[in-house]
Amino acid sequence: MAVTEAPPGPQADERVRRAGLLRRLLARPELGAVAGAILVWVFFALVAGNRGFLTLDGTASYLAVASELGILAVAVSLLMIAGEFDLSIGSIIGASGMVIAMLNIEYGWPLWAAIVMAIAFSLVAGFLNGLVVVWTRLPSFIVTLASLFIFRGLTIGITRLVTGRTQLGGIDTDAPVVSWLFGGEIGRFSVSIVWWLALAALATWVLLRTRVGNWIFGAGGAPDASRNLGVPVNRLKIGLFMTTAFSACLVAILQVVNFGGADVLRGTGQEFQAIIAVVIGGTLLTGGYGSAIGAVFGALIFGMVRQGIVITGVNADWFQVFLGAMLIVAVLVNNYIRKKAAEAKR
Amino acid sequence: MSRKRLFWPALAFALVLLAAGCDEAPKEAASSGESGGAQGGLNIAVVTHGQASDPFWSVVKNGVDAAAKDTGNTVNYQAPQTFDMVEMSRLIDAAVAGKPDGLVISIPDAKALSGSIKKAVDAGIPVISMNSGSDTYKELGVLTHIGQTEFEAGLGGGERMAAAGVKNAVCVNQEVGNAALDLRCEGFTESMTKAGGKVKVLAVNLADPTDAQQRISAGLGDADGVFTLGPTGATPALAALKADNKLGQVKLATFDLSPEVLQSIADGEVLFAIDQQQYLQGYMPIVFLTQYKKYGVVPTGVVQTGPAFVEKANAAQVIDLSKEGIR
Amino acid sequence: MSEGTRDGTPLLEVDNLTKYFGTVIAIKDISMSVRAGEVMCVLGDNGAGKSTLIKTLSGVHQPSEGRYLIEGEEVRLSSPRDALSRGIATVYQDLAMIPLLSIWRNFFLGSEPTRGWGPWRRFDVDFAQRTAREELQKMGIDIRDTAQPVGTLSGGERQSVAIARAVYFGAKVLILDEPTSALGVKQAGVVLRYIVQARARGLGVIFITHNPHHAYPVGDRFTILNRGRSYGTFNKAELSRDELVQMMAGGKELEELGHELDEFARAEGESEEAQALRSAAHVLEEEAKG
Repeated sequence: MAVTEAPPGPQADERVRRAGLLRRLLARPELGAVAGAILVWVFFALVAGNRGFLTLDGTASYLAVASELGILAVAVSLLMIAGEFDLSIGSIIGASGMVIAMLNIEYGWPLWAAIVMAIAFSLVAGFLNGLVVVWTRLPSFIVTLASLFIFRGLTIGITRLVTGRTQLGGIDTDAPVVSWLFGGEIGRFSVSIVWWLALAALATWVLLRTRVGNWIFGAGGAPDASRNLGVPVNRLKIGLFMTTAFSACLVAILQVVNFGGADVLRGTGQEFQAIIAVVIGGTLLTGGYGSAIGAVFGALIFGMVRQGIVITGVNADWFQVFLGAMLIVAVLVNNYIRKKAAEAKR
Repeated sequence: MSRKRLFWPALAFALVLLAAGCDEAPKEAASSGESGGAQGGLNIAVVTHGQASDPFWSVVKNGVDAAAKDTGNTVNYQAPQTFDMVEMSRLIDAAVAGKPDGLVISIPDAKALSGSIKKAVDAGIPVISMNSGSDTYKELGVLTHIGQTEFEAGLGGGERMAAAGVKNAVCVNQEVGNAALDLRCEGFTESMTKAGGKVKVLAVNLADPTDAQQRISAGLGDADGVFTLGPTGATPALAALKADNKLGQVKLATFDLSPEVLQSIADGEVLFAIDQQQYLQGYMPIVFLTQYKKYGVVPTGVVQTGPAFVEKANAAQVIDLSKEGIR
Repeated sequence: MSEGTRDGTPLLEVDNLTKYFGTVIAIKDISMSVRAGEVMCVLGDNGAGKSTLIKTLSGVHQPSEGRYLIEGEEVRLSSPRDALSRGIATVYQDLAMIPLLSIWRNFFLGSEPTRGWGPWRRFDVDFAQRTAREELQKMGIDIRDTAQPVGTLSGGERQSVAIARAVYFGAKVLILDEPTSALGVKQAGVVLRYIVQARARGLGVIFITHNPHHAYPVGDRFTILNRGRSYGTFNKAELSRDELVQMMAGGKELEELGHELDEFARAEGESEEAQALRSAAHVLEEEAKG
């Protein structure tokens, strides 16, 4: 019936096996980020090794920074692979933190209840973001830019109205379950690191081993075609916006519980840092390709540079220059490696 | 092909940038410790909540730099980009990881920073606080505090105002609920009442200066004295008095200095300003740490740097120093 | 292979299909059908209405007038997903493939096989990789590693993956939108082979193209569109290749163009340009003659 050639002989199979592993490694989107992380670590180990970068304290400090950004980056990576941006997560961090602080301090709610309320709030915020993007078909960049301002403005305005201040402090964070879940440390390492790695593992599993993960790639790479093939693109995107909003809330919870208070300006600028970490991790700005693990390494690089600079003794203001330079280098390296990987196949 | 050629120069450029940034460190450190005293050679980290670009805090940094020079120590000044306790505690953690010989910090939020401060103290690093945290520093294990305590400063202000003949004063508070500001008004009220006068606290939002000016005008009533808690309050208060033609009858005094406030004092429009001499808040901690390291001696209570009063008599001198970033 | 006519109801039939966009008549009174194991070629130059026809057939547009029958039953498709679920699979020129994604992921997009229950329900990767490879082999494509990104395949291979995907997921009718238009001669030949294979497996294929030289070898019947209307449907037996080309390419116009170019060449004299014009004229005249 069908006109086929004979199946490939053992010779062809052997060829596949040998080139397989190397080619497969090169093809992974995370490669650039992992290489970058190693490079950065070596760099600071050399330059700041004797000033504390290599100590347990130094490691714990940059892992703590990396973990907060990492929680955001992992969620944002999924959204960006699906082809959308969320610029409002910084504002959602501030808003969620304020929800917890105000409910607890002004209205006397128990801490766990305030936290549940904040989670509910963030899910609604994410849902609204997603709904508007899907309904209006405006670029998510624009929609979430608007919600960035709206949420931040609401946070500042309502906090000032109710309390007359812009920072709320003095929360009693010794509530048993709450402080075990979100506060404190394991040895010297902040518990946020555990949350970060757990979420990264979950996101990777979803992305690479479930239907939803395939849908995410499809929605980002070819949205109309995916819709025609049966992928529920709209529902997927709304769900992903809710995920990023939730990740922002988680960061806020960790901050409130660990620092005993909230600030209307918390989280400012985090959305861009998260996007940068995700891009460093190998995700394309145009969507359809990327990796949550890469975002993990992107956040790690971030944390190492952030704290490494201070440990080295350089003024922390220089961090922004490095950030920009790092971003460009990372994207160049990623493109280069991707090209190499594609060539290697031929 | 052109992409590939672009790649290596771009990478090299970025690496050069990185390296250049690191060059900064030895340079910065060197400048803080080249000439100067024979002793020293200590490595001190300073983490405050005020950026060096802020005019108030740049005076503090000048004090820090001068002390570093005079004692021959290496001092590293770090501050978060915005008022963010999370950022600040990370900076403290990073500084502590480098095992400095001493740590100087400000404590705007004791609870938020307690974790990081405790880690420093537990690591055996001597810690001195400045500017904020006068009532919380002791329980955190901090050796001493250098700054101006709010209540006492308000107290001093009240005494001065009463001495100038003010009987009925308004204390303009822009953030009722902010502990530091509340304490200033409370101290002011206490000394005024003791002198037989009375004080009303006027809550005014200073975000919009025109609006603030209106509110102050409206809230004056028959007061013969206005006390503001900073230059952002002094400016609209002055404008209100001028607009209502009350400059002669109502006396205005304020906390903290600014070029405008200083000029107004010289011109006789403002009675006095309270100077917390933040230069000393930068200078003294370095000196104290040096002596502590050497001999184990350190002041045991709060070292007050204010209130110092700038009035018409010494305004001119202060204006000159302010231009140099000393006051 | 035989000419592939089988008795029985057509898998897909349209009767006087018409689509208006406002006052524009995109297609009018198009009637055609395709049976199982048959290739129906829809030919027409650009602007003939092919794209509107294909979108109406695949469910993107709803017809303004006329009937749409699937296996004899009148239907009204609400969306491409609806069409797909009824066995009408459309492969567009842009293929709906994500270049950076692996072949097996692309193959199963939207219809991922799963194993496990509840929160442990996962994408059956082994099954997907194996099956993608097998199905491609059945179409005569041997791809050693289906984990390679689809972008590394040649244009012809990508078309075949798309076709294999449609076939695997139970398409009864395969609508191909200009599958050979962007390909070189050799690649186009490869795709035409796969069309034949699909027909051999019992599908009805609607092959839409503007190239009669590609259509004639594989087609069983031909419908020709011109400016939104149909010239009719012809069996292969009734139509020679030359006649097909003539009808499509507007042979008369080509011959006239050839004469014009000759005129220009004569005016130019013996220059190189003149030579070029003359040879172009010659080619066109040959083309017009078929």
